[in-house]
Amino acid sequence: MSELSVDRRELEGVVLLYPRGFINAHTVRLFEGAIQEALDEGRYRIVVSGADLKYIASAGLGAIMGVVEEIRTNGGDIRLAELNETVRNIFDILGFNHLYRIFPSEVEAILSFREGGGAGSPPA
Amino acid sequence: MSERRPALILRVPSRTEYLATIRDVTRRMAEVAGFDGAQADQLALAVDEASTNVIEHAYRGAPDRRIELRFDACADVLRVEVVDDGEAVDPRAVPQVDLRRYASERRTGGLGMHLMGRIMDTVTFRRTARGNVCCMVKRRPGAGRGAAP
Repeated sequence: MSELSVDRRELEGVVLLYPRGFINAHTVRLFEGAIQEALDEGRYRIVVSGADLKYIASAGLGAIMGVVEEIRTNGGDIRLAELNETVRNIFDILGFNHLYRIFPSEVEAILSFREGGGAGSPPA
Repeated sequence: MSERRPALILRVPSRTEYLATIRDVTRRMAEVAGFDGAQADQLALAVDEASTNVIEHAYRGAPDRRIELRFDACADVLRVEVVDDGEAVDPRAVPQVDLRRYASERRTGGLGMHLMGRIMDTVTFRRTARGNVCCMVKRRPGAGRGAAP
């Protein structure tokens, strides 16, 4: 069984990524590739919807950190939604909740782009 | 005092595909020590990070080396040693990570070490004649203060 899959769909001009499984040093290339594919298409509004993301190690966090400046420079943002307790705790431990907007639901994350435009900035 | 004997020793090749095995075993041993599921997940992450550091730094990606993990789970305490015979690493201390600067500079190194330090009670490194030993200890939150492992 594969440790990670990343499905994708689009809604209201937002690219939704659905990592399923575990993101660590072994699987991170797949996750990076999914993000990079969106950027290569000039899509800078991205939501990582983590309902099926069981676990994320620093390699995965680094993958997000490595592209966030490019995304925000281009007027977009990468936002997170539906993180389980384990993943949410990891984000909180590292202080990622101060760098990225995290929403309880995917719908709220999508709508946040409508409210605030794509202009990405860290949460206050 | 008698010499400590780990309850479980796991030896795996220095390849990232074994991180899943390391994660599963760590999680199980954490549960044996009385940690709940969320805590066990965090401990598994810390050991994943330590093992990844061995692969990437001590072994510089060489896939034909060995990582040895020594688990000691007793009441309310999990102790894990991650042992390699690779190049000396000198982490000195868990680095302070400035995430905003990291993001602006596109830096990602040090995040794993930082996570290990935040999750575990203690993270220590020592160099032996055989190689590097990273020792991580976590006491279950709310557990009574017994003898340190």
